[in-house]
Amino acid sequence: MTSDSLSRRAFLERAGAAGVAPALGAQTRSTGSTKTIDCHAHLYAQSSGVLRDSDSQLVEAADKLGIDQLCCSMLTARRPATADQFRECNRQVAESTKRFPGRILGYAYVNPGYTKDALDDVRRCVEERGFMGVKLYNEYWIDEPVLYPLVELTIELRIPILTHAGHMHYYLADQPRISDGSHIAKVASRYPEATIICGHVGGGGDWEWEIKSLRNAPTVYLDTSGSVIDEGMIEMAVATLGADRVVFGCDMSMTAGVGKIRGARISESDRAKIMGGNMARIMARRQRS
Amino acid sequence: MIDINAYLGHFAFRQLRHNTAPELLRLMDSRKIRQAAVSSADAIAYRNVQPANEQLAAEVEHHRDRLIPFAVINPTYAGWADDLATCQEKLGMKGLRLYPRWHNYKLTDPACLELVKAATGRGMLITIPVRVEDPRQRTWLVEIPDVPLAEIEGLVRAAPSAQFAILNGLGYTGSALGRKGSGLPANYSIDVGRMSAVLANELGRLVENLGADRILFGSGMPFQYPDPAIVKVEVLEVSAADKEDILTRNAARLLRLQL
Repeated sequence: MTSDSLSRRAFLERAGAAGVAPALGAQTRSTGSTKTIDCHAHLYAQSSGVLRDSDSQLVEAADKLGIDQLCCSMLTARRPATADQFRECNRQVAESTKRFPGRILGYAYVNPGYTKDALDDVRRCVEERGFMGVKLYNEYWIDEPVLYPLVELTIELRIPILTHAGHMHYYLADQPRISDGSHIAKVASRYPEATIICGHVGGGGDWEWEIKSLRNAPTVYLDTSGSVIDEGMIEMAVATLGADRVVFGCDMSMTAGVGKIRGARISESDRAKIMGGNMARIMARRQRS
Repeated sequence: MIDINAYLGHFAFRQLRHNTAPELLRLMDSRKIRQAAVSSADAIAYRNVQPANEQLAAEVEHHRDRLIPFAVINPTYAGWADDLATCQEKLGMKGLRLYPRWHNYKLTDPACLELVKAATGRGMLITIPVRVEDPRQRTWLVEIPDVPLAEIEGLVRAAPSAQFAILNGLGYTGSALGRKGSGLPANYSIDVGRMSAVLANELGRLVENLGADRILFGSGMPFQYPDPAIVKVEVLEVSAADKEDILTRNAARLLRLQL
């Protein structure tokens, strides 16, 4: 660990002790290890007209599948998002968290290139609206310096970052800056106080590569979501990273998301950690601050 | 339950588990899956598929009450008609699996139509996996796209007397295959595959459009966990009788199995 990170950690500890207000509010008051928490869900912009009432449809699907809480972000229809666009997305997510208190929890989605706007909106979403985390997409690799202020803010606020991720063995022309496990491990090494969740191991290409790339990044979590349901994926994640670092998610592939955890040959205590215990622990950090 | 989409053997690009007959049967027992139509995973990447078919037949020999062997045949490869005859007459294979993209042909090519005609003459169910694995995780060596639904549509139209099962796909309701009154012959069924059963609920819409008697339970095990397919049927809002048709009776009818 560098002296730089030690001094930054000390600073942030002090900042936290100085009274950054806990603001998760009613939504996660009763979060406990028995809840099933989908760490990776999405809402769709009402203006799109494609999925009107997407939040009620999502909750209805969660009811059928026994999912208690849905950690949701809303991405802009076109990216990269402008500051106005991501603010509007986050405003709509806030409305859904009010319509479904305790069921829908909010991630603030931002484009880190708009540094001040992004920092301001994240702080507003967390402190005033009770959001539980930050969602990043692929505007930048997560280890680029433009991300540093945002990562530092999440450390201060004690909230996780869920980042879009994937590793393909070919060039992804429409996502030239998609992060993979190596980018995430690198930023996690610089900021060991940060809580970073690597998104959708079942939706990001070579999942075996992704799992192995995170083995030596002990502060990084892996989200199980995505449509890929390859047998052995969850067992490998648990064996390589430990069950404490694996969190259940669907990313809207909901029967796939639930089915792959149900099908994994892991202990019931590990399954409970993955289905909600770990995510509850992550969110409790904010509540304790 | 009868699983129309299962495999034994090895895949070229990823280790499979539960891929021997005893191991697959243990997995099936744990999920209450009574029978499964199995083909060779090795054959997907082989040039000459017949040794893989023979290996599969040997593997299931003592479990034929539960593991129903399907042949993989490449209609562009020398001797395919002899291989088909051997698979059906000597190895007791009840169906066929086609891999047009892996084996470099189109479903509507004359060679494939000839194979379909020959297999139909032998009373074999012809299954077509839309994909083997998600193309995003492809290796640096080969790029194998999904089988286009339009191509499958062309085949079912060109071979009305054949009986097909389409596996591991989605997006049917956006094609003639999944639309009511499309004019296609009713000579194909579709497994639950990758369709959603909540939110967009394509599976529910497909049941409405085609009828529950055209939907099959298929998991893709052991490439895939069998549980997501089970969950889809669990949450599907249809009658208990329709669920039983999907899980068991439709496949039993197509495979001529006694229940």
